[in-house]
Amino acid sequence: MSNSRKVVKLFYDVISPYSWLAFEVLCRYRNVWNIDLKFKPALLGGVFRGSGNQEPRFVQNKFSYLIADLKQMSEFFGVPLNPYLPGEKGTLNVMRFVTAVAEKEKERGVLVERVSRELWKNIWSTHRGVTHPALLTEAGLRAGLSASEVEELLILSKSQQIKDKLKSVTQEALDYQSFGLPLIVCHVNGKAEVFFGSDRFELMAHRIGEKWVGPHPVKT
Amino acid sequence: MASSRKMVQFFYDIVSPYSWMAFEVVCSYKNVWNIDLKFKPVYLGGVMHGSSNRPPGMAPNNFHYMTKDLERVSGYFGVPLYPPSDVFEAMFDKGTLNAMRFVTAVAKKEQEGGVLVERVSRELWKRIWSTDQDVTQPASLTEAGLKAGLSASELEEILTLSKSQPIKDKLKSVTQEALDYQCFGFPFTVCHVNGKAELFFVLTDLSSWLIASGEKWVGPHPDKPTFQM
Repeated sequence: MSNSRKVVKLFYDVISPYSWLAFEVLCRYRNVWNIDLKFKPALLGGVFRGSGNQEPRFVQNKFSYLIADLKQMSEFFGVPLNPYLPGEKGTLNVMRFVTAVAEKEKERGVLVERVSRELWKNIWSTHRGVTHPALLTEAGLRAGLSASEVEELLILSKSQQIKDKLKSVTQEALDYQSFGLPLIVCHVNGKAEVFFGSDRFELMAHRIGEKWVGPHPVKT
Repeated sequence: MASSRKMVQFFYDIVSPYSWMAFEVVCSYKNVWNIDLKFKPVYLGGVMHGSSNRPPGMAPNNFHYMTKDLERVSGYFGVPLYPPSDVFEAMFDKGTLNAMRFVTAVAKKEQEGGVLVERVSRELWKRIWSTDQDVTQPASLTEAGLKAGLSASELEEILTLSKSQPIKDKLKSVTQEALDYQCFGFPFTVCHVNGKAELFFVLTDLSSWLIASGEKWVGPHPDKPTFQM
């Protein structure tokens, strides 16, 4: 049984559906595995640009596959994800908002978790979207923030400090040689183990000395 | 409890390292899962071209990740994978057209689920992805075939057959079959169950679906179970 908690960083953007799957699994395992889970809101567009990777939605066959795969995977992981082609042009403002929440609350926070989840639901579950500020507010309120807190965070999200923070977290992902999201970085025995996607949990568990028992570690 | 027997078509090219790992796992589970496994040798070059996809290794960060990831995954699944000294030369300059025509010829002689196709494919994978040896020359293919248990005369026949128009056409048509399923890379598996075709890219998609439909997953080696899902 491992003694010190292992730091696990999840780099994600709410435009990324696989990030939602990885997020929910890690949230479930947070109190099962001996880990210290840190949320790292980043910008997927920034990762694609910085790595020169081709976005999957531009390859027709890959895109068709992703839609079908997301249906299977969302059922397997028990996440209410309804795949479609989002009309979102980009999530810069949204991820700045999440970054602002994280900044107020520190990386492990319950609020970052709740806000991120509500945003994912808006994009990938109910398809209400998040580009309109009113939709951001709505997600924030559902996550348990008060109206004044949401207003404060919206203002903070436009500050240079937060713009720079999102840029630097995105760069951190690129420094781990990311080419997409989600990126999960596990620090164990002084080394960083980097995993891309939501299909490496069994291997990840093995590498960090834990056990993978499927998408629902705690039976309800 | 698993339901009806599923026909599983495993599309692969020996140029693909992830396909080797998926292949070994599927082979070791073939008598555990209620499946009817059929090997479908295809030509990855034809699929990349037909789907306008780029090889993932083209973006430096992808390539870097894959190198590390392959080491981990192969270690976990117990597959002796060691990348060739010049990966781009082996995969793209030299390529695997002759090798996949060779495998297609073996498949033609033996039917899709055959032991010989399995053995020959494994020996070819070992050459390119374990011992850094050539897979383009007739002598290389012969050596792999001998290791797989074919006789010298059988091999001569298969080599001749592999250069024939019917075999060239067969490889093209199986590659087109993959494209018709909207394949964009490997490993690519198609499971036929209850009249429906379910498509899977990457091993975990396939195994997740099989687990969801009642099959067992006990870790990388079913003969040495590490856990039950």
